[in-house]
Formats: sequence, structure tokens, C-alpha cells
Amino acid sequence: MDQSFDDVWGECEDLFMQARQTLVTLKEPQPAHVVQAAVNALFRTMHTLKGMAGMLGFTSFSRAAHRMEDIFDLMRKGRLRSTDSLTETLEAGIEALESGLAGLRRGRPEPEDYLQAIRRQLGELEAMARPSEGAHQDLASMLDIPPEALKALSEYERTRVTTVLMDGTPIHGVAVCLDYATFDQRLRVLSDALSTQGELLSTLPWEVPGDREGLAFLLMIACEAFKPDDLPGLPGELLGTSLLADPQRVPDSLRSEVAVEAASLPAAAPPEPEVPPAAVQDVEILRLPVHRVEALEARLMAVGQLRDAASLIMREGQEKPLALMGRIEESLLDVQKDLLQMRMVKVEGLFTRIEPMVKSLSRDTGKAVKLSFVGGDLELERNLLGRMTEPFLHLIRNALDHGLEPPSERLAQGKSEAGSLRISASQRGRNLRFDIRDDGRGFDLERIEARGVAMGFIKAGEHPSPERLHRLTLEPGFSTLEQASNLSGRGVGMDVVRTEIEGLGGEIHLSSEPRRGSLIRLSLPLSRAVVSCLKVRCGMHTFGIPIGSVLRVQAGRRKLHGGDQVDVHGLSLPMETLQACLGLPEADGQRVFVVLTQQGASAKSVQVAIGVDEVLGRSEVLLRSLPELAQSPGIMGGSPQEDGILWLLDPEAVLGLAMDSLMRRVARV
Amino acid sequence: MSERGTWLQARAAGRDLLISMLDLRKVVDPMPVCPLPGGSRGIAGLVIHHGEFLPVLSWGGFPGCQAGSEPPMALAVLRFRLGLPLDRLGGTLDLGPEVWRETPVDDPWCPWVDAVARVGEKDLPRLDLDGLIAQLRRFRDER
Repeated sequence: MDQSFDDVWGECEDLFMQARQTLVTLKEPQPAHVVQAAVNALFRTMHTLKGMAGMLGFTSFSRAAHRMEDIFDLMRKGRLRSTDSLTETLEAGIEALESGLAGLRRGRPEPEDYLQAIRRQLGELEAMARPSEGAHQDLASMLDIPPEALKALSEYERTRVTTVLMDGTPIHGVAVCLDYATFDQRLRVLSDALSTQGELLSTLPWEVPGDREGLAFLLMIACEAFKPDDLPGLPGELLGTSLLADPQRVPDSLRSEVAVEAASLPAAAPPEPEVPPAAVQDVEILRLPVHRVEALEARLMAVGQLRDAASLIMREGQEKPLALMGRIEESLLDVQKDLLQMRMVKVEGLFTRIEPMVKSLSRDTGKAVKLSFVGGDLELERNLLGRMTEPFLHLIRNALDHGLEPPSERLAQGKSEAGSLRISASQRGRNLRFDIRDDGRGFDLERIEARGVAMGFIKAGEHPSPERLHRLTLEPGFSTLEQASNLSGRGVGMDVVRTEIEGLGGEIHLSSEPRRGSLIRLSLPLSRAVVSCLKVRCGMHTFGIPIGSVLRVQAGRRKLHGGDQVDVHGLSLPMETLQACLGLPEADGQRVFVVLTQQGASAKSVQVAIGVDEVLGRSEVLLRSLPELAQSPGIMGGSPQEDGILWLLDPEAVLGLAMDSLMRRVARV
Repeated sequence: MSERGTWLQARAAGRDLLISMLDLRKVVDPMPVCPLPGGSRGIAGLVIHHGEFLPVLSWGGFPGCQAGSEPPMALAVLRFRLGLPLDRLGGTLDLGPEVWRETPVDDPWCPWVDAVARVGEKDLPRLDLDGLIAQLRRFRDER
């Protein structure tokens, strides 16, 4: 079987394992916010399984997963309560899907309905959750916040507000004003701290008081006993706390309605705020073919032989110790490479999954697509691939669903009948960059803006930049579609994309031009890589420069200083010292230069001669990324060596720093 | 400020302080720190701890703190993977809510100390790890 499909099966199995573990959480009495987190996780798991099955062409499976996803969606919106009978039905549904998957893997045909055995129960649940005549209850208006802020609540948040008030839980608000530079980190810290006290319902933009600078937010939390003193580092940031909604004020008529509903269902477990949230299992499972493990065993045996040889040499003195150390180092690097290789997969594995999905979507939507891939030979860590697959697939679905026009529309615009979808991967420093480019209609910024205003993300009269409007589509719950389709439009997908990519330490950028197309760029940091580099010394530090960016190494007759020109093959290039680039004390001139160029160099690419104290030679090293607190401009990672740490330079960043430094020199003159 | 719990009493940057046991992963022998080229002023450099890089805090970079003239006697490995050099280790203290009071506003350690405990005749500042991390991030962003 195709290796990449083997990976998909493996990922599906892992997802089922996680789903089973999460269901166990629902079987025990838990605080409301723990139940909510578990339901959210199950909802996302079903969403992912639905996408993967669709990609593999198993439409019945995808349909069944979609139905289960709907049930979890009803639960997370508070229209279904977690009860023993509901959990049993969900467990049966997940088991049916899991055993169906095992059958598919063995080559069995797809059944018409995987969920046939629980069809009656599912129907009852759906009927029970259906809103009665008229609109369903919405108690969000009980919140003591301005109407403008109220509008910003998503449907999901409104249903949660209603549910917690019906359950008798008060809603508190914490207004904070955070520093521009650190607001995202502080917001995360505060959100995490609040989540330990109860359910964080929403984070709304808030008005900044006239005497303050920064960004203000209102964090809404549902909990019995709110303890603002337990929030970390709040003094100075706190604007105020208040009770936003008191459940005692829910009208009795509504309470009696709920009491009738509750009577037909076993009561949910009362919240137990003192119980700590269940620990989330976050264990990476590595699947390895036996031959890779055997290869590693062989490598380790070779290292063992070297140890024996070293022992013999020390006794008999047959070989020089330095040569022996060199052989040991090589062998250890081979072991490290093998270990790293076990974690790596080719990007091609991702591409081969996209192709059948695009073909199937192209057939379903009637949109012809010219699909192309670049950079399939690059490698990335297996866990990165696993976590980015679903976001990636969602972006492709979006590009096809919203981006590319139907053939008739394209022809009318003078475009080719088939739309173009180009997916490329490239390595930029320590980042792996993915570009998804289509030649469709681009983002409808006017519509996004109108939706943004209607949903309260944008104030009336505000003129948001195109960049902000593009980013708005990544906000939780944001969708320009009124109706969800099988492809997209639930407003959860882009949220999942952003959460996953940022959770991996990556970034997402969106851009588009009307009728010209869209570009979605994902940048993901690699935590480990074997890098072939040129080792250089500057002052007391040793650096590695990835060999792919080194155009030439040259020694001059006389010492040069930063800002001087170096003649390289008749071309006069600016010279900057590595020390100046990195903010280190400069030496009194340098004679050795490493000419750096941008990757994918073209005739117009930037080239700079970087002055170093000494070139030490070429080497392969294992790159490890630096912890967040130790990140330093121009350095993409380090590699432990016998005499300290070798710092791996990010050539693109060093070129940028060199240009900045040269500009500053010019400005000083 | 009604917290009850266990704190490690230690001396760092010329002052005795309390570190919550919830923030502490372990205490290890000090090891040579490899300076980070162009690193921010709050970070002395990196050490390799259990095969991974661990940033080590530089007290000298913090306002109102003295860099130790002697090599540290221990390294506290804290949550968020941060190494904190310690000049001296005291014992652990179990403290009830009654001992805590506000940090004096003129204390230069205010951004990373969230309360002071009165223990015997001494006022012991309580390390606020979130505040300390926020300060390190500010140093990093200043560059």
C-alpha cells in the first residue's frame, strides 16, 4: 500500500484513540468547562475524520462523520446535554466508524450507513435539539455590556451564555488594558488562568480609557466563585471586574421550560469547581517501519564497535586518538541523523493526499482545476505533517469552494476554463514555507467588511486595511456564508487552521487581488534538522552558515571594515562584519569574507560579503531550534559541540541585518 | 493574596526570595553557560539540560538587581524552561494566607514579585514567574 495512505490510516487510528479517551472524560462527573472542552475536542476530531474520509473518497464515511460532528456541534451549542444515554450513543457511533475504518483498510466495500445501528437514537437526539416553534432562547441580552459589544458575540458564544445562565452559573467580566508589545502573550496567560476558574466564554474588544494606551479586552467567564486575586500579574492592567449576568434574574417562565426539558433527560452532573481539569493527553506516537529500527540498531552496534576499538587503542596505542575521535563523532552524527530521519517525512506525502481530494472536489463542484506542486522533496517532521494536514486540506477546500470561479464565469472574464491551484514548499531559514496560490476571484473584501461590521468585529465608519480584512477570516466563528456546506462555511475551519498553525509556532498570511487570485502562506518552524554548513569563527563564538547560501569564500590581501567594498570576480560587493550584523563588538578589520546570497538566487538577488575572523571548514551538524526566550536575531538554532554551542545562522535574516547595518553606516556618514 | 502553599527559600541577586514549588521543576548543579551572541540583556546564555537548550537568566540585566560576584551555587529549572541562578539555597516553607502582604510600590522588583511574606523578622518577596517571563519578553522585544 502507498506509504502516504498508510500514514492517513495511522492518523485516523490515532484520532479514534483520542476520541475514545475523550469520551471517557464525558462518562465521569466533571465541571462544566471540562465537559465543554471535551465536546469541543470531539467535534474537531469528527471534523478532521470527515475531511480525511472525503479526501480518500469514502463518501459514506464522510457523511456519517458529518452527522456525528453535527451532534457534537449541538452539544457544544448547549442544545444537547451530556447524559449517560447520549454518551452511550456517541460511543456506539464512534465504535461503528472505527470498525468501519478497519473494514475499509482491509478492502471491504463501504456500507450505505455506518450509523444504522444507532439511527433511531440519533434521530431522537436531533429532534430533541431542534428549536421549538420560533427562535431558540437567547439570554445574551441579559449581559450588562453595551449593545455594540453584544453584537460581537458569535452564535456559539450566545448559546453558551444562555446555557450557563440556565444552569444557574453567574457570568463575570474582567476588563483589562494590555500593552501593545505584549498583549497577545498576556491575553494568553490571563485566558489560561481564567480557564482554571471556570469556562471562558468570550474575549471581546473593549474601549480603551482616555488616559491609557494599549489594547483593551473584556474577558467573560462563567464560574460560581470568581477570584480576581488569583489572576497573574493583573495590577496595572486591570480596568475593572463586574458581575455581567446573574442567573437569579432569569425569568421564571424560562426556568419552568427548562425544568420540563430537563425532566426528560437525566440531569447533568453538577459543576465541581474544586476538581482540577482532566489532564489532556498530548503524546506523540511515532509509527516506524521495522527496517528503520533495525538500521538504528546497526548504527548503535557500530558505535559499540568503535568503543571497543577505542579501548584497544588506549591499551596498545595503535591509532592517534584524534583520528579515533573523528570516527566516533561521525558515527554519532549518523545515529542522530537516523533518529531524525525517523521523525521526518517528505512534503510529497502531503501533496499526494491533496491530489485525490482536489480531483474529487473538482468533480463535485464542476470546476476544472490545473493542480501543480513544487518542493515535494523537502522534509518536515512527522508530527508537524500530522497536525498541519487538516488545516492544509481546509485551505485547499476553501480555495476550490470560494476561490476558483465556475468555468463559465472564468471564460466570461477572459480566463482559462480550468482554474490554477499551485502549492509550493520551500525552506526559508529555519522555517518551512507553504504557499497555496490560486488564480480565482480573490477574497471578497467588501463582503468580509460587511460581515465584520454585522458581527461587531469592525466598528461602523472604521476603514480597515486589506490585510486586516484578510485576517478577519481567521477569527473564531467568522464566516461569510449563511449556510454550511459539505466543503466549507461553518466558520470553524479557518479558526482551526489558525489555532493549529500558531500552536505549531507558525504563522499564516493571507493576501489576494480581485479577479487575480489569492495567496495563502504558511510558515512553520522546524525544531530539528541536519544542516550542512560552513563553520566560521567570530570573536569567541563559532557559527555555522548553511552551505546552500554560501556563494563564495574569499581571503583578501588587506584588512577591510564594515561598509567597504569587496571585489568578487570583478563584481564590487558591499562588505559587512558578522559582528555588526549580530550586535557584537567589532574586530579591527577582517581579511576573510563569506559571500552570502538569497536562496533560489536569481540575477537580482541580494549578495553581501560577510566578514568573519576565521573559516574553520565544512561540517554537518544537527540543528536544534532555540527556546523562545533565547531567540536572537540572525540565529536560527544551535548545535552542541565539544567546545560549546555552534550557532546556526539564518542566512536570509543575516542578509537583512547586514543591509540594515550598511544603511545605518551610510546614514551616519 | 490568600494563597497557601509551599515555597523554596533561596538567595539570588543579593536578596532572599520565595519560589513557588508549583513553578519549580528541579534544582541542579550550576553548569557553564554558553553566551548567546546578540542575546537580550535578561538572558546570560544557554546550558544543555537533559539534551535540550535551557536559557539561563542574567540577574545583572534586571533593574535593581546585582549580578552575583561569585559563581552561583545552584540552578533552579523553572516552568517555561528557564534556568534561574541561585546564590544560596534555604529550605522549603509552608505558608498560610495570613503572612502575605502587597509588594511595596517602590520596590524595583515589583514587576516580577507579586507579594511579600513576613517570616519571622524578614520580609521575603515572592517570585511571580509570569511577571518575570513578561519582563524577559519585553527585554527581547526592546532589541
